[in-house]
Formats: sequence, structure tokens, C-alpha cells
Amino acid sequence: MSLSPSPSRALTAAEVEAFGREIDAVRERVEAEVGERDARYIRRVHAAVRYTEAAGRGLLFLGLFPPFWLLGTLLLGLSKILENMELGHNVMHGQYDWMNDPQFNGKTYEWDIVGTSDNWRHTHNFKHHTYTNIKGMDDDIGYGLLRLFPEQRWRPFYLFQPFFSVIFALLFQWGVAIQNLRIGRLFAGRMSKGEFREAASPVARKAGRQLLKDYVLFPLVAGPFFLPVLLGNVVANGIRNVWTWLIIFCGHFTANAEVFPKSVLRNETRGHWYLRQIRGSSNLKGGRLMHILSGNLSFQIEHHLFPDLPAYRYAQVAPEIRDICQRYGVHYNTGSLWRQFGQVCWRIVRYAFPSKYVPVERRQLVVSEEAS
Amino acid sequence: MHTESALKRWLSPLVDPKIFDFWAAHLSRTWRWERRLARVSAVTAAADGATTLTLRWGRRAPALLPGQHVNITVDVAGVRHTRAYSPTVLDARQWQITVREQPGGCVSHFLSAPERVGSTLEVSAGFGDMLLPQDQAPWLLLAAGSGITPFRSLLRAAAAADALPPSVTLLYWADRAASLCFADEFDQLAADHPQFRWQPLLTREGEAPAARINAEQLAEWAPLLAGSRVYSCGPAGFVSSAEALVAGQALQVVSEAFSLPPLQPAGEPVTITLARSGRQLTVPGGTPLLAALEQAGERPPHGCRMGICNTCSCGKQAGTTEDLLNGALSAEPITALRLCVSSARSDLTLDL
Repeated sequence: MSLSPSPSRALTAAEVEAFGREIDAVRERVEAEVGERDARYIRRVHAAVRYTEAAGRGLLFLGLFPPFWLLGTLLLGLSKILENMELGHNVMHGQYDWMNDPQFNGKTYEWDIVGTSDNWRHTHNFKHHTYTNIKGMDDDIGYGLLRLFPEQRWRPFYLFQPFFSVIFALLFQWGVAIQNLRIGRLFAGRMSKGEFREAASPVARKAGRQLLKDYVLFPLVAGPFFLPVLLGNVVANGIRNVWTWLIIFCGHFTANAEVFPKSVLRNETRGHWYLRQIRGSSNLKGGRLMHILSGNLSFQIEHHLFPDLPAYRYAQVAPEIRDICQRYGVHYNTGSLWRQFGQVCWRIVRYAFPSKYVPVERRQLVVSEEAS
Repeated sequence: MHTESALKRWLSPLVDPKIFDFWAAHLSRTWRWERRLARVSAVTAAADGATTLTLRWGRRAPALLPGQHVNITVDVAGVRHTRAYSPTVLDARQWQITVREQPGGCVSHFLSAPERVGSTLEVSAGFGDMLLPQDQAPWLLLAAGSGITPFRSLLRAAAAADALPPSVTLLYWADRAASLCFADEFDQLAADHPQFRWQPLLTREGEAPAARINAEQLAEWAPLLAGSRVYSCGPAGFVSSAEALVAGQALQVVSEAFSLPPLQPAGEPVTITLARSGRQLTVPGGTPLLAALEQAGERPPHGCRMGICNTCSCGKQAGTTEDLLNGALSAEPITALRLCVSSARSDLTLDL
């Protein structure tokens, strides 16, 4: 059998249930603590986004002096990273809905990228987080563009994926924007032009607004410095794109990440669901800055277990989760950004080439029959 | 005001009001695009367990009719809470609200604290239809506890405009004399205007404490009931008793209740009002709201059905819900309620 062995031990049904209860207990403890400190934290993050944006744009307006241009661009990129990851992503998961503040409401927040929040709430919050790593249900497995697992059938198109990956990273926000449109269905004739237009019009509106803001309005305000400001905004968006791509790929496509067949959904209990989240995610080791800039997705495992808990609490629960995993023999995948990135590059290059197709059905979450 | 709205109209396509408000907060304590803020200029005791806050507006106070209430939103320990109060207009830039401390009430305790002086409160537009009548029919005002506040506002406005009808009777229920608010003010009003009478009715004082509200009290203190305009304000139980007692006798009855709806045991039917479609439906309390709504033929947006994706979250305007994951009850009007993991424990109004 060419199925790569799972680094996690198969659990019995009783073990899965006990495992789920332990994770639930961690959740309850954190939930009870969430309050004023978390509200203060997210307000500070929001303030940091505003200050860095104003400072970045301000410096860019003095754009002819190269150090100002460079610093302005970096600050604007930093602002966009914070807004995308620690603010937008986390608020839209509903992590701060309990504050009852319309400004931090997960259902209405609109973020500063070309993709609409509504589409993302569907592809990410619902599909990706509910059906994590289930082939055919979670579009984030290769985003319909890349082959990253032997359980995906090889086609000659994938030979070019190392090249596509670079383009995808540079234009990541556009990938997010069109993910929900499933353009492939249009080309395959499974969606009418009318249906496509209806689905695409909010995306086009949002993208138009974003382009107008970053590439027309702010450059125009700068008057004679139109070009340096335009270029600074292009680069800042690019920095944010590459960074978010890097964090997401390193959180999901490392060496030990597993994909699952739809059949795991049959009678899936909370414990099974937790197990699947952990076996499909990878953490990144790093300092506080790394955690903030990644929107705490460096704790991808904890994020997948508790997507609606304030993300900066993940650091607090990670040792407990790791301990529970160790006791049950469930692999807890963590490593430095470079190590995880190396594994991602390996997957991108390896599966560009033909490999023996492994039917995903062989991959099971638990082998309770054999183990019990 | 006029130049400000013109400015807003010009800027609105270019400026995100939320970002504007973020920067405006650095420049002014009360100037915002989307929200109206008033500063607390004084916090004084109104009675035992009741506190009066004086609110000062940066410019002219927003329009508010006497007897109306406003929603006041405060941030307590990171969570925004909203409560309704009936302000009294003092002058063009000052209002007063009186807050009765509720046992375990986080907003009433927060507002009553002396350190509120100097802080800002978010205030909504005025609403409610307990307004000054245009004719001279006699008034009978029935107040319980903090239900007195809209009447203070109505009486002051009518007296100031010299528009009190020929007969005005205020019956004011409170537990004891020390918890009566504005007693001096009502005494003064009675001295200045012979057509105004007021009577405190104390429920927990003296040899024979008075009943909450009954026909004998009305017969004794409000003999002119027939043909009167009856206004009642207080807890829901008080208001419904008052309505039952005066039914068929009064010219008009206007009432306002401010207590929480009673908690229904799980399984009892509750009425859900869908604010957008206007539909009302009855569902069993205690079952997940998403499933209950679908059972009733509604199709609210939903995703994972397990409380993780937030797709089904919608606003709740009124009622008590239970979080099925941790059993927590919430009686707050809130902006985000996940239908798939919440159940109704009283009648509800949802933003659907």
C-alpha cells in the first residue's frame, strides 16, 4: 500500500470520546475567562492598523526620498497584514461577537482585500472549517489549482505548479476573491453565464472599490508623487499577499498533513471532528511578533479546534492541547516557519510530478474496529 | 447642524464612517459620524438605590419629545450593553436620566458609579409614544418604581408650557418612602398648580403595607377615572394589572413596561417575531432556533449547524435565549446570536 503512514495512532471509539471531552474542557475554561482583556486587545490591534496605515501613507506622500518610500511601503504592508490576519480574519470568525460592538461583528466586518467578506465567510468559515481537509468538500486543498497530496489525481497541467504557486502567492488576495466563483464550472459548462454574472458582480464591485482606493485615489491625492505612491501601494498589497499565502500554506500543507474522504462525516462525533482538525493542521513556532503578524494562525491547530475563541488565547491553550495529543498518541505537528515552508515547497514540487494515485478512501480517521 | 450634514454627504463616498470615527475620537470626546455621544456632567443620588445622571451635549441636544425614551449604550468590561431610559430635558444642552440600581444589574451599577462623571455615553434617537396629549382630558398617571421617569418629563414639560389639564393625578408605587424619586419636585408642582395631585403608595412600609395596585386604591385616589387619559409605566406585571383595572373606563390607555419577559421552561411554546419579514411563529422553547425556524418553514442562512462557522448568526432585538453549548442565558438585545446553538427561553424578536 502506497498510503503514507499516519503519524497518529488509531484511537478506539471510547478514546475518541474521552479525547473530545478533554478538548471541550479546555474550551470551557478559556470561554469563561474571555472578557475585558480580550476587548482591550482587539481594540488595540484595530488602533495599530489605523496608526500604521496613516504613518505608511503619510510617508509615501513624501515618496521621492527613497528611505521614506521604503519605510512608508513597509508600514502600509504591515498595516495590511495586521488588518487581514489579526483583525479581519479573527473578527470574521465571530471571535469578538460577544462584545456586541458592530465594529467587531463577524457578520458585517468588511476587510481591506479585493475578496468580499461574504464570499470568504462561506468558503473559509463554513466550508474550510467545517469540512477541513475532506477531499471534494474543502476547496482549500490546493484551491482548485495545485496538487499537494497523492490523493489528488495527477494531470499534466500540474507540471507547471511550482510556477503557478509563485503567481498565486503574489496575487493571493485575488485567489481568495474568485475562490467562491468556481470559474472552472463556467468553463466546463456547468454554470450559465447569467449565474456567473450574478455571483461575480459583488466581487467586481468590491475589487473595483479596492483598486480605486489604492491605485487611483491615494496616488491622486499625492499629486506629483502619483507614481511612487501607486508603486508603494502595489508593493504593500504584494507583501501582504505573500505573507498570508505563506502562513496559510505552512499551516496546512506540511509533510504530515492528511486529507480525508467524505465517508469520515458519517456519524462524526465532536471528538472525531477535533481529531480531523488536528491531523489536518500544523503550527509554527516563533515569538510574539510572529504570532501577532500571523493573526495567531501560527497556532493553526488551536485555531481549527476553537475558530470562534479570541485568537490571542491560543498561545495560552496550546501547551494543554499538545499535552492531550501526546497522551492519546495524536501527532501534534509543529515546527519553525522555515522547516514548515521547506515541507510545503517539497509538496508543491513533488506532486507536480506523477505519483501513484492513492484513493483517499483508504485514509481513515479512526480504525476503531481494528483497535477495539 | 446643516453644514455638518452637507459635509457628511460630500465625504460619504470617500470616507468609511468607522475610520472617520476612530480619528474623530482623537480630536473630540463627543463628535462622531455614526454615533451620538453625550458627556456625563454630574452623578447625584435621586433616592435610595436610584441615581440621577446629568448628560451634557456638545452642541444642541437632539430632538426628544417629553415622555419618550432613548437607548443608552455603555461598555462594561468590554461588552456593549443597551438599556432604555426616559430622559428629562433640562435645557437646550442638558438632559437628566434617573437609573434605579437593579440587583445584579451590570448597567445600572455601572451608570450609578461616581466615576462616570466626565465619561461619555452613546445615546440613540428618542422613541416611544407616551406623549403629551393635545386636548384637556384629565390625566391619571400610574407609576411603579423607575416607571416614574417619563411622567416627570411629561409633567415638567406641561407645567412649563402652562398646558396641564384641569385635573392631573399621579399615583406612584414604591417599596418605601426613601426610594421615591422627585418627591420634592412633585410637592412643589402640587403647590404651584392646584389641579395636580400626587399620592405615593408604599408597598413595604408601615403597619399595613399597600398592595401593588388594586381597584380599592384606584377608587380611593382616582375617583375621576372615567373619561381620563390613563398612562401607566412600570414592570410588566404592574402594567398589565393597571391595564386590566382601568379597561373600559378610561378614555385612552397608554402603557410602557420595562421588565424582562418571564423565562419559559424548555419545551413550552414561545412566539418568535421576525422583525424584517414581520412574520410571527410559535416554536417549542429549548430546541435549537435554527432547527425550530426551519420546522416552521423559514430558511435562515446557515452553515455548519455546530456553532463554528458563524453563518447563521443574526441580531436579537428582544427576549431571552440560552446558549446550548454552555447553558448561559442572555436577556440582552445583541447584535450576534448563532441560531444553530441557541434556543428560545422566552418570546423573541429576531433580525430576520
